[in-house]
Amino acid sequence: MRQEDISEIWFEYEGTPLKWHYPIGLLFDLLASSSALPWNIIVHFKSFPEKDLLHCPSKDAIEAHFMSCVKEADALKHKSQVINEMQKKDHKQLWMGLQNDRFDQFWAINRKLMEYPAEENGFRYIPFRIYQTTTERPFIQKLFRPVAADGQLQTLGDLLREVCPSVMAPEDGERKNQVMIHGIEPMLETPLQWLSEHLSYPDNFLHISIIPQPTD
Amino acid sequence: MPLGLASPRPRSAPSPSLRPRLAAVGEQSALSVNMEEDAFLEEKAFQHYCAEFLKHSQQIGDGWEWKASKDSSDGYLCKTHFQAKATARSLPGASTEEGETWFPMERGWPGLWDHRLTFHCSCPPRGSEEALEVPSDDSEVPMTAAATEVVRYEYHVLYSCSHQVPVLYFRASFADGRPLALQDIWDGVHECYQARLRQGPWDTITQQEHPVLGQPFFVLHPCKTTEFMTPVLKNSQKINRNVNYIAAWLSVVGPVVGLTLPLSYAKVPSQDE
Repeated sequence: MRQEDISEIWFEYEGTPLKWHYPIGLLFDLLASSSALPWNIIVHFKSFPEKDLLHCPSKDAIEAHFMSCVKEADALKHKSQVINEMQKKDHKQLWMGLQNDRFDQFWAINRKLMEYPAEENGFRYIPFRIYQTTTERPFIQKLFRPVAADGQLQTLGDLLREVCPSVMAPEDGERKNQVMIHGIEPMLETPLQWLSEHLSYPDNFLHISIIPQPTD
Repeated sequence: MPLGLASPRPRSAPSPSLRPRLAAVGEQSALSVNMEEDAFLEEKAFQHYCAEFLKHSQQIGDGWEWKASKDSSDGYLCKTHFQAKATARSLPGASTEEGETWFPMERGWPGLWDHRLTFHCSCPPRGSEEALEVPSDDSEVPMTAAATEVVRYEYHVLYSCSHQVPVLYFRASFADGRPLALQDIWDGVHECYQARLRQGPWDTITQQEHPVLGQPFFVLHPCKTTEFMTPVLKNSQKINRNVNYIAAWLSVVGPVVGLTLPLSYAKVPSQDE
């Protein structure tokens, strides 16, 4: 290819432009979970799909997006108190830890985002997004408390019944869908608070995929 | 429907919430009875203020619409307008590299400032007296022609349940459908806000996915909204005059990205009067 013909890089899988701002594991679960690894995708250097994809002009764009998700998650969990109390260098450390795959560097800061006051039983609201390829809306995100009025810990099943009831129907029949996080199907009885603390992505969100049951 | 307001809680001292515990989602009430916290907007209140705002827009023909989302009870405000921009272009064949200079015709944007709800801006509009850079080498004098391009702006006001504030999304494209790039948007921000923008462009305006449409839009980051809305609402409570949250908020953030509100919006009631 000639240099002048090359424009912004973008990726595609089976006709679907891949959103770089989504975690790669989420994209795989949502679009290709039944296929074997390695995941084969197509790399494009032309015809950037302006209507489908965000531009990624530099690493700054990725850092800005990541930090904006982390801030949004903390707005839900702690009314932004924890993230706002941190210094700029802590935010930087979180991003650099992720960028350079430094677990300890990342978790030194992230652990503070996973704490909650002793008198509470969990976060204020749980940061989550539910994705289905069958809907026009890119994801479902709503306010949801991890602890019910009676003090009971809400479960993954409780969340789905509340915000995405079609997934759980029929209750006693065979489920048509898989509920997947990080490539696994957690039990629906798992407390959401626990999932948020232990199964969130680095941006502090639970990214949940609803996919059709595999037919094999 | 007044919001419950109180003095802003100092950020360093987390205090237990005095608000009665709500059960899981579905019980969002418009009123906040917590007297210790900053003013924030609940979703039902957002929808109510939007409805009042829309009524006024219809009365004065300001072009706002409500788009309801098909699969749920939420929706957003939406408005499209067109802006002419003068551009100076090098004609093909000129030896200098092709360049485009933006001369927004009215830097102050046509529209009015609500002085009670925004701050004064005394920046003179950047006019056509702004000179093109003329290269010193005569053999390379660019041939320029003034042309006008029409830019289509589309503004959406959505509710963010995470931040519990409205958020302004927008996109812009030329008549031929070519979208404006982030740098174009940053360059087009009014003079008054350029200093703030330069402090942290990535914290201010970026491209993000529209949460309902799933398409790329530009967003004005909502992180500071509660900070500047709290004093506005507290003051309105003090003088016993209810302000429409959406009108007040939009009159502050809109001008940053070329969207202004006629002064008559200041009189939009916040409840049925």
